[in-house]
Amino acid sequence: MTRKVAVFFSPDGRVAHVKRNTSLWEAAAQAGLGLKGTCGGAGTCKRCQVLVRDGPALEKGTGLPSGAGLVLACQTLAAGSVTVDIPQDSRLAEHKVLLGGEDVLTESDADLGRIYRLQPLCRKVRLTLAAPTPEGNMSDWSRLQAALRGETGCDTFRISLPDLRRLAETLRSGNWQVTATLVEAAGCADIVRLEPGHSAGPALGLAIDVGTTTVVVHLVDLETGLVLGKKGTYNKQARFGDDVITRIVYATEQENGLSQLQETVISVVNQLVTGLLAENGRHRRDVHLAVVAGNTTMIHLFLALPPAYIRLEPYIPLAGSPPPVRAAELGLAANPHAVILCLPAVASYVGGDIVAGALLSGIAQEQEVTLFIDIGTNGEMLLGNRDWLVAVACSAGPAFEGGGITFGMRAMQGAVERVAITPESYEVTVETIGGVRPLGLCGSGLIDCLAKLCAAGIINRAGQLQMDFATPRLRRGDDGPEFVLVWQEEAGGGKDIVLTGNDIKNLLRAKAAVYAGIRCLLKAAELEMEAVWKVLIAGGFGSHLNIRDAIAIGLLPDLPAEKFTFVGNAAVKGARLCLLSQEALSEAQALAKKITYLELSAGSDFMEEFVAALFLPHTDLSLFPSV
Amino acid sequence: MVFMPIVEKYRSKVQEVVLGATRAQGGTRDFTVTVGGEAALPFLHYEGQIPHRPLIGMEIWDTAPADWPACFAPYFADSFRDPAVWAQRCVSGYGADLVVLHLKSADPDLLDTSPEHCAAVVSKVLNAVGCPLVVLGCGKPEKDNLVLPAVAEAAAGENLLLGLAEQNNYKSLTAAAIVYKHTLIAQSPIDINICKQLNILITEMNLPAGRIVIDPTTAALGYGLEYGYSIMERVRIGALQGDAMLSMPMIGNIGAEVWRTREATAPAEENPGWGEQHDRGILWEATTAAALLQAGLDIVVLRHPEAVRLIRQNITELMGGRGV
Amino acid sequence: MGLTGLEIYKLLPKTNTGDCGFPTCLAFAMAVAAGKINQEKCPHLSPEARETLEAAAAPPMRLVRIGPEQTPVLVGNETELFRHDKRFNNQCAIAVEVADTEDMPAFLQDFSALTFERVGQRYSVDLAALRCTSGDAGRFREAAVLLRNSAGKPLVLISEDVSIMAAALPVLVGDRPLLCAATPQNYRDMTELAQKNGCPLVVRAKSLTELSDLTEKIVRLGHRELLLDSGSRETAAVLADLTQLRRAAVRKRYQPFAYPAMAFASATEPLAEIVQSIVFLSKYASLIVLKARQPAQVLPLLTWRANLYSDPQKPIQVEPKVVAVGAVSPASPVYVTTNFSLTFFIVESEVANSKIPAYILPVNTEGTSVLTSWAAGKLTGAAIYKALQENGLESRVNHKTLVLPGYVAVLSGSTQEATGWKVLVGPREASGIAKFARENFR
Repeated sequence: MTRKVAVFFSPDGRVAHVKRNTSLWEAAAQAGLGLKGTCGGAGTCKRCQVLVRDGPALEKGTGLPSGAGLVLACQTLAAGSVTVDIPQDSRLAEHKVLLGGEDVLTESDADLGRIYRLQPLCRKVRLTLAAPTPEGNMSDWSRLQAALRGETGCDTFRISLPDLRRLAETLRSGNWQVTATLVEAAGCADIVRLEPGHSAGPALGLAIDVGTTTVVVHLVDLETGLVLGKKGTYNKQARFGDDVITRIVYATEQENGLSQLQETVISVVNQLVTGLLAENGRHRRDVHLAVVAGNTTMIHLFLALPPAYIRLEPYIPLAGSPPPVRAAELGLAANPHAVILCLPAVASYVGGDIVAGALLSGIAQEQEVTLFIDIGTNGEMLLGNRDWLVAVACSAGPAFEGGGITFGMRAMQGAVERVAITPESYEVTVETIGGVRPLGLCGSGLIDCLAKLCAAGIINRAGQLQMDFATPRLRRGDDGPEFVLVWQEEAGGGKDIVLTGNDIKNLLRAKAAVYAGIRCLLKAAELEMEAVWKVLIAGGFGSHLNIRDAIAIGLLPDLPAEKFTFVGNAAVKGARLCLLSQEALSEAQALAKKITYLELSAGSDFMEEFVAALFLPHTDLSLFPSV
Repeated sequence: MVFMPIVEKYRSKVQEVVLGATRAQGGTRDFTVTVGGEAALPFLHYEGQIPHRPLIGMEIWDTAPADWPACFAPYFADSFRDPAVWAQRCVSGYGADLVVLHLKSADPDLLDTSPEHCAAVVSKVLNAVGCPLVVLGCGKPEKDNLVLPAVAEAAAGENLLLGLAEQNNYKSLTAAAIVYKHTLIAQSPIDINICKQLNILITEMNLPAGRIVIDPTTAALGYGLEYGYSIMERVRIGALQGDAMLSMPMIGNIGAEVWRTREATAPAEENPGWGEQHDRGILWEATTAAALLQAGLDIVVLRHPEAVRLIRQNITELMGGRGV
Repeated sequence: MGLTGLEIYKLLPKTNTGDCGFPTCLAFAMAVAAGKINQEKCPHLSPEARETLEAAAAPPMRLVRIGPEQTPVLVGNETELFRHDKRFNNQCAIAVEVADTEDMPAFLQDFSALTFERVGQRYSVDLAALRCTSGDAGRFREAAVLLRNSAGKPLVLISEDVSIMAAALPVLVGDRPLLCAATPQNYRDMTELAQKNGCPLVVRAKSLTELSDLTEKIVRLGHRELLLDSGSRETAAVLADLTQLRRAAVRKRYQPFAYPAMAFASATEPLAEIVQSIVFLSKYASLIVLKARQPAQVLPLLTWRANLYSDPQKPIQVEPKVVAVGAVSPASPVYVTTNFSLTFFIVESEVANSKIPAYILPVNTEGTSVLTSWAAGKLTGAAIYKALQENGLESRVNHKTLVLPGYVAVLSGSTQEATGWKVLVGPREASGIAKFARENFR
């Protein structure tokens, strides 16, 4: 039997008890401390540096004692009990993310009541039953169902066995008054809770957006439709890899990989839910329903469905429209009988989050053609009107969320969101979120930066830094050419903030993938860009999106600014709609069936469009007349 | 019923590019040549004017090539060691329109000759022949960035066709072409978008579009020729439809690609089913060239005198006495 | 031109029943537009929609079969002008011509050698063309029988003399040779002969207008298995005519020209004949008749044909074979990449730039880039192992270390496991190779 060893983490004071020769990275994860990492523990991204202060640690692979100084947590094994320092740089930070609503965002909050009638999926039915008599001698269960039929129009009801076992007592102790909490969906009603008497307790619901990078939860009062609170944080699955593919590989190839991923996301959701409940003085037993929106892979991981075939040709999900499950089955912080509904997906790479966005945007109601773009780690695009809808997905990479960029960061305090460069002197001024010293750049800052560098001629249209410019800001760093955006004296982190040639390449690729996806969509629909009536943009760039800059770099099509609307986190809002409206849920289900998914990898068109878009703003300058 | 020919209407035509400069123009060439100017798809004379016939350039090296197959010996063995003699042989012996001088000796892995040496070789070849000259570097960007500006300076005013400018290495060559008045070959890797991007980058440095010749890169027959063919067809259609950044004439370095292939070089014993190497090698080169001419190629760079003869005949037939 | 996906969609019931096997009606419509599936797969198609779709699906150029019913050579059915728009459908047939006055055994010996193996593919000429130069029906018939019995390919019979043609056909029952040609002078009899024997027929005129008239007349006689010969023989004129015929068929759906077109190589020298044929092959001939018959001459033509008729949607790939860059030695490093040609060439040029000789091993990922192939599970430890084995890397180098692209560092473990080789994680961008090589292999 393998002896367990203790790994102490400072300055957190947490400890993990792990098998001998477990990596420090896994130990940190077990202790609930997320370390940065994009390579899935391969030892290549070099982001998980830690300091072993004490105790025997070995280098993975060689088995030699690990060196002094910073080592990679994923490549270092705890041979005995050790004490480890985690520098701030290596930690997965926790902070606010796009919540879909107020905060600092300048996005428009779509009017949720605009289209759908408030008719929550979950409600409390307060019944007064006739007491049994020698003539009226039907069973308690039949008696309850008969009363419910009259109230709901539903025909069949399901009840948990424990509730059924208690039924006789429940009815009689309430003196034939009883409160049933029902979740109605698809013509079938679940009695998720049964209370004696006429209970005044609330029915609460959760709208959950499980994103690759972030998780957002809204706590909703199902009787009033009011949002009681919103919370968001990082998806800590990031420690297993930044993108869905890495996570699929991890889930498929690592022992317990899938359950690790699931437990991680559930714990992230639970942390948010418990926080929301506590802040609002509510109890988890009153949470009876959750509607979850996420991309197809995230939903697989949320439910611990093996995702292997999503990644392999011909890209088949295990379930696009998974059946409802109970909170207890997932370990979700809610009433154990609460029903968890995942919004249906269109295909392996167009998930329920996009369906939620489509629902929210009302794209399928309009006569005119709308383009809906969700720019996340994956870019998903949806085009259409009430007659037809086509969707594509492309791997944009996490650049616009700050991933894969040397000084990239998510939209939080200290993130540069605006950049100005003086012509000739090449002096740079930046604005940060919160007005504090800059730490790095978030998506909107990166977009702005690229546009300004190009306008100043510091990069050419191919994104190459022009090293012959006379400014000390252009220099050769460890990773080749780079541009110093903020000198260390002015930076919050004590280091020069630079944008490297490779960063620019990553940004170009990300923007090219999105634009190429849009072009392929239009091509499939045989439409010109001008035929697009409005463009809705969802995603987590930052606190705002400068449309002019986004057009200047060729991320968004060159259309008049008034055609664009930034809707922020559309997924969680769409999920909330479904929570509150039967009609909306049916519409979402219909949408998933109606949207036609176009596989971009099937032909060479996407690749061609992609290369054409790897230019500022685009190889075909006539597509960007205003730039 | 009289059949009316279907004539495509185009918005534009291919850019005309002049190569070489006479004494009056600041150079020393006996004559200049003009390529491009087509207002129609290749050789469809009824559709629009095709004012200039495609040109044939013959490739020579500034050092005796070790890897050219034996079939070249009867034509060049005595001239391999002297690029001036080799160039003369191509022009007066085999009727090349252009000499394409490949500065192979500069390759750091070969002789690593100096930029001055290369400039001197170019001058020597210029003295030896009266036709315009195409000069290609050794293909190693770092070295070419030293060699080609030196060549450009030494041959200032000659309006050489200089190459190769690539997307990751175009600035110093473009600058040299602007300062010393030469024309540039812009090479892109079988990709119409990169082709166009490079032209935008170069013209944004203020080299006029009329001083650029596109090398869209081609593979040899059997090695992806169809991709190069399709890119050239699309470039040409783009030019005719008015895309200024695709409107330059095209050059194809065919000999170098073809004579690396087994099909061109393998003796009959190696693959008896393929027949004799003599005809096979010549036709491998001529077929590659003839196909690309149908896609819009304007300057064909060849090695074998017999392939040159066949392609000249083909061009003559296709021009039907038209063009200069 | 066929209908677009959205145009077809408008004709469908838009009920998304999935009965056709596609998730939505639009997905089905797009597949129909791309020619991947027949509209009949939709069980809910209205009669009007069916009619419209059938009419639109009719090819602009007829498919013509030459030779026996069981093993015909198919020509025509082309829908495009440029191969980059969509794959050309039926390879241009190559016919090698012999005169009935020539030494037939010598021809047959040469002809039998015109089948080639190249890059795992088999190329072959398709038809033997017999020209009557003797003016002697008996001799022509005799030669035709000899060819039929020994050439192993369908025949083209070339004579404008109906009586000579008529004399040969009774001995070629069921062979369905291509009769060449019907002219304004002989078309009635020649067409009747073709119809009676079920043979495809060449329509030959002296101008496109005359060809148009003649084709209409022959079609009115009820024969539609036709090939078009404009009569031009000079290279430029043939190119012009072939272009017009293709444009008329595809762009204008001009009915008299809705048939495959053919060309004759006219140069006297075999090599020049091949070069001329390259022109005709590239621009729209569905059948070329030439005399060149040496393998060294015909192989280049057949190779270009195979290239030209390939699928333009297939990404450009390099052969998944190890490539040595520079003066390699057994100690040289081994870089792993994919066989997507752009990826490969960038890596090749950067490895060359590094000035440290090395092997590059392009793994067969069906022409996808490193990240794409990894995402789709095509670049795996097992795939790398297979590539190492197939290329005999173990005997080429004296070490067991390979360099993996930085983007797929996650494959390190599985690669090490699958191959038994040590894995060095290289740079993510090819531009980092020079630095990487200096640091690791100097």
